[in-house]
Amino acid sequence: MVKVVKSTIIDASVEAVWEVLRDFNGHDQWHPAVATSAIERNLPSDKVGCVRRFTLADGSELRERLLTLSDVDMAFTYCLEDTPIPLLNYVAHVRLLPVTDGDQTFWHWESRFDTPPGRENELKELVAEGVYQGGFDAIKEHMGLAA
Amino acid sequence: MARVYTSSVIDAPAARVWERVRDFNGLPRWHPAIRDSRIENAEPADKIGCVRDFHLQNGDRLREQLLGLSDYDMFYTYSILESPMPLTDYIATLRLTPITDDDRCFIEWSAEFECAEEDAEGLINSIGNDVFQGGFSALKRQLAV
Repeated sequence: MVKVVKSTIIDASVEAVWEVLRDFNGHDQWHPAVATSAIERNLPSDKVGCVRRFTLADGSELRERLLTLSDVDMAFTYCLEDTPIPLLNYVAHVRLLPVTDGDQTFWHWESRFDTPPGRENELKELVAEGVYQGGFDAIKEHMGLAA
Repeated sequence: MARVYTSSVIDAPAARVWERVRDFNGLPRWHPAIRDSRIENAEPADKIGCVRDFHLQNGDRLREQLLGLSDYDMFYTYSILESPMPLTDYIATLRLTPITDDDRCFIEWSAEFECAEEDAEGLINSIGNDVFQGGFSALKRQLAV
């Protein structure tokens, strides 16, 4: 089992960052790896159990299911259902916390998954840097903040 | 139930901040509001259940018991056994989390307690500002690179 943990500080209020992140169908608006996003069966994107279908920048598709969403904790959990990349048993958690002595947000993004033998480091790097750090940098740019 | 939550960013790696704050008997070394501290019965300060008996600069005396401590997750949780404050059932947690993309540290200090309704605002302000935020400000001064 591989574990990835990434975190950053965003120079915006936690409410403003949550407004962007909580839309499970909105990641194509800011994440550079995602070309298009749609929720299957026309479900609302904040219905727990809904599935988003991503087309990635390279044309491949993946499906992810929303497992939990909490506006109180400003957190959500999702898992991969179908993926062209061999991330197996992948479950990820996103949560936001306010920095109470500044107008800033702490953003924590972590996951656990299995990989084919020998590909642990390669896929860990892809998730940590390509997906999570890439997402942090993209949100900062999307919200008009210096990266 | 009254709740206090304070958090901040410290410009030092989490491991370095943890080294400074993990000693349950070490408040006088970093927190400006604390004058002295000792652990009762000569127990080690990282023994779960140990009690610290300490004085604030104004002479107030408190006794607090260590309920949980994790070097892996970098947090500790404690309760108040005795204090001059008009509150009961006080449980607090100090927690550090690394900020992975620039090697800084996210610090949270939170508490929950019961008190009379008319005392809540004053207690929340004094615990949040004087104790928790006061501690953060001191750590920032001491650990700034």
